[in-house]
Amino acid sequence: MIGPGTHLPTSVKLRVFLRSLLLQASWNPKGMQNLGLVYALYPALEVLYPDPEKRREAVQRHLTFFNTHPYVAAAIVGGVLYHEERIAAGEEDPRRVTEFKGALMGPLAALGDGFFWLSLRPAVGALCAALVPWLGAWAAVLFLVLYNVVHFTLRARLFRMGLQLGDRLVEAVARARLPSRGARLRAVAAASAGAAATYLAFAFGAQQGGVGGWLLAGGCLALGALSYLLVARRVPTAVLTAMAALLAGCLGAWL
Amino acid sequence: MHDAWVHVALAGAWGALVGLERRAFLQAMFSRPLVAATGMGLLLGQLQTGLYLGMVLELFYLGTASLGAALPENDTLAASGTTAAAAMMADQTGGGGTPAIWSLCLILFAGLGLLGRAVDRRLEGHAAALSTHGLELAEHGELESAVRQNLLGIWPYALVYFSLNVACAGLGLLIGTYIHHVPLVVLRGLAWAFPAMASVAAAIAARGSHARNAAAWGLLGGALMTTAALILAWVNE
Repeated sequence: MIGPGTHLPTSVKLRVFLRSLLLQASWNPKGMQNLGLVYALYPALEVLYPDPEKRREAVQRHLTFFNTHPYVAAAIVGGVLYHEERIAAGEEDPRRVTEFKGALMGPLAALGDGFFWLSLRPAVGALCAALVPWLGAWAAVLFLVLYNVVHFTLRARLFRMGLQLGDRLVEAVARARLPSRGARLRAVAAASAGAAATYLAFAFGAQQGGVGGWLLAGGCLALGALSYLLVARRVPTAVLTAMAALLAGCLGAWL
Repeated sequence: MHDAWVHVALAGAWGALVGLERRAFLQAMFSRPLVAATGMGLLLGQLQTGLYLGMVLELFYLGTASLGAALPENDTLAASGTTAAAAMMADQTGGGGTPAIWSLCLILFAGLGLLGRAVDRRLEGHAAALSTHGLELAEHGELESAVRQNLLGIWPYALVYFSLNVACAGLGLLIGTYIHHVPLVVLRGLAWAFPAMASVAAAIAARGSHARNAAAWGLLGGALMTTAALILAWVNE
């Protein structure tokens, strides 16, 4: 998983990667992921800087503000190791690593948010929610498997890219075409949401049975369509849900 | 009764675990409503309750995301707390989970997402203090202690989410003892309210998918589901 390109022992690189899973443990409005980043890097800094004074300087370099998407941060963590090795060997100025982080954390955060939070997660979530009637609890397991195959594969690949490519990782990340893949995933999310709504309307309608059942199923589908239009007009979702519950509740009680 | 308290403790433990996973460690999506609620239902012996609440809450919170420094509503607490309460309630009635109980819990515990966000905001203050302390320690050359401050940010989350989920489960247990006093007509109304809320949640999800032509994709999904259901019904006949 964590390949050549640096002189740090593989065990150290692996420890850094695993500790980067705790990047957000003490996320705070001031330094954001600063403590998490230093926590991840520390095993490598211990090896690279045997001199305590140099190590202190290195730690302080990374205790400054840092914030990016937690998964895509793996690329920056790998890239920081790439630069720190060169700084420790006297081949680079320490400012290079600070510039590297500063230049990448914003764009990579946007890329990670767009792909993972706004595309992959909604797509897999809606798809598996729509599969609940057929798969039962296995829908939740499928959700974890589908999501994490992509998540951990990309996270490990990005770390490796950072380690091997340093600043050139930007071109490699661009080649992954994450935004265009994200657009397709968002369509899956919307289609799955429609499927889930239809299933729920018919399933509960059938459970009710008779004319009431048809009324419930048709009413739910109409409510869904109306809600879609009202959400687009920025009507608060809590208000919509409460109104739908009240309307259906009154009808159910009356019939 | 002994079993009930074991279930309350289990609800707290699972709630703490997924709460931690959401915020501090891994973020492999055990904290998503579909997984958190299903897991809670499974642990408390009310799998169907967990599944249906997880499905609806997953759709409800599908489009929310923590972008930059913005804090969305806490979908994990909403899912784990609501399911803990519903499962305990269902347990008390002896008849298992019903749409009426699920609706009742969705309504009574609707504020959990907002409460979770407020709690997250408060805990960020604690993490900021840890960050400042870490900087001071690094200044004095105590590097290992400085680095370890990161792990100290985890425990308050575990403690707070344990307590909140225990409170939800306890409330569910309490409300469950009174549920047989609720008139039948109200329970029938609540049963109808569940698919209605689910439809709204699905509409919110389609909108929150950020897809281009989301309405068309949603319609396509609905048409496919209808076709699949018709084929299944035909095959069964």
